[in-house]
Amino acid sequence: MRRPLWSSALRLLLLGLVLIWSGLPILLVVLASLKPSRDVFEFPPRLLFRPTFENYTTLFEKWPAFAPCLLNSLIIAVGATLLTVVVCTLGGYAYARFRSRLLVASAFSMIFLRMLPPIIITLPLFPVVNYLRVNDTHAVLILLYATFYVSLGTWIMKAFIDQVPREVDEAAVIDGASVLQTIRRVIVPLAAQGIVAVSVFVFIFSWNEFIFAFIFASTRAKTGPLILSEMLSGIEAVDWGVLFAGATIQVLPILVFTIAVQRFVVAGLTVGSVKG
Amino acid sequence: MRRRIVPYLLISPVQALLVGVIGLPSLYVFFLAFTKSSFGQHPVWIGLTNFSTVLASKYFWTAFVNTVIVVNAVVYGELLLGLAVAYLFATGVPLRRLMFSVVLAPYAISPVVAVIIWRYLVEPDIGFVSRVLSSLGLPALEWAVNRWHALGVITLLSIWLHLPFTFVILYSALISVPVELFEAARVDGTSGWQEFWYVTLPSIMPAVLVAMLFRYVFAFRIFTEVWLLTAGGPVRQTEVLATFLYREGFRYQNFGVASATGWLMVLASILIASFYLYQMYRRMLARDA
Repeated sequence: MRRPLWSSALRLLLLGLVLIWSGLPILLVVLASLKPSRDVFEFPPRLLFRPTFENYTTLFEKWPAFAPCLLNSLIIAVGATLLTVVVCTLGGYAYARFRSRLLVASAFSMIFLRMLPPIIITLPLFPVVNYLRVNDTHAVLILLYATFYVSLGTWIMKAFIDQVPREVDEAAVIDGASVLQTIRRVIVPLAAQGIVAVSVFVFIFSWNEFIFAFIFASTRAKTGPLILSEMLSGIEAVDWGVLFAGATIQVLPILVFTIAVQRFVVAGLTVGSVKG
Repeated sequence: MRRRIVPYLLISPVQALLVGVIGLPSLYVFFLAFTKSSFGQHPVWIGLTNFSTVLASKYFWTAFVNTVIVVNAVVYGELLLGLAVAYLFATGVPLRRLMFSVVLAPYAISPVVAVIIWRYLVEPDIGFVSRVLSSLGLPALEWAVNRWHALGVITLLSIWLHLPFTFVILYSALISVPVELFEAARVDGTSGWQEFWYVTLPSIMPAVLVAMLFRYVFAFRIFTEVWLLTAGGPVRQTEVLATFLYREGFRYQNFGVASATGWLMVLASILIASFYLYQMYRRMLARDA
């Protein structure tokens, strides 16, 4: 079908506006981080200039905790991802292969619990976490982040395992494999795409999360977003160039990762929201 | 017999996490809402006092009104924008994969970094958008002092951050509308608008509802954007329910009042989600019976 010229032009214009809306703010901040302090807010912002890394050097001098915080984020994100994947594969297999009223009810409660606003559980957990002396540890954040993604994750795994023919695991059972062996040797390889989709969601969420880190972490388990928030709303005046440098370092790896795995983001969002 | 307990063993880790970390603490919050309590202090039963304190607080009502305004503006704004962008993509764009990546990009951004990015845009006098507005001779954005400007910036920021979610769901729905429907409509001689209104929109309505309900439930929790942009100020004018709860609980150490607020939030979330849960429950029972 041929489009009239004005229609194509309008579509390009709209596409341009969409790109400006979604992409330009990120690009401008990344570029600003590469400018000397006095030019950070220059207007109109130059897109071509000789980049300087002075903000980045200042960042690591003035905020020695920044790199360790990113490392904390990485440890927590990897831990939460592993925990979620294991838990969701087991659960997803059960929901895909078995049927009973109790299972339906438990699936219902799983989705119901996910609908509760996370902030309300910080009130009772805070004293418990203090009492158990696990505040400010990686483990607490791993547990919290995994919990808030296991229900979506279980649904995604169920959807992917549904597509694996039942005969495959029945054959494994006849060969004498236990349920766990069947899951590990047969289901995991065949539903690997689902595992990737689940991992992508939990990893992005855990790398970026703020509220739980803000309430449950202070020094040892301080995360990337948490130290960035301190740089943003500290007592001293904000050092914008340095802040933009920090934001760029926190964002770029996860942005590249997200774009690389966008196929799974799309598949997971579609499955997770339509079915659960 | 052994076979029968297998599925329950398999779901026990996921259920244990959910019940242990979300379920039981939420019930405990329900109990706390009827008590007076704080750090290292045993809860004392005081009945409905916390609820009447909350409902009598003008700051609560400001937070409530702000939340209702922001959530509705975010959900509908995002739906309209998401639908427009999804329709644009579904009908073909050049360099599709690259363009798709750009639209998806905010999904990778932490709410903290989103606030940093938006401060770059709206910082008074020096921000990019502030400069554009002043060079066009338009009035300045006074989000640091003006409640409505602040809520406006928070709404836009929130739409910006969550557009990828709505976009992806609507886009997937749009590209899976059967082509035959369009062909039949063309044979009947429909115009572009008629086609969108009578063929496309009804086909993707289930996805629109799903996106809307999810965004209602999740937008309702809005915290980080508000906390890091205005911290609820000036004089608690821009607070939302989650920041009100945080301030009462963790700044004023008033766990009872915070818990009562929490349960009012839960009730609202359930109200929003119940329609969706009901539909799903019926569908599942119909399939399994």
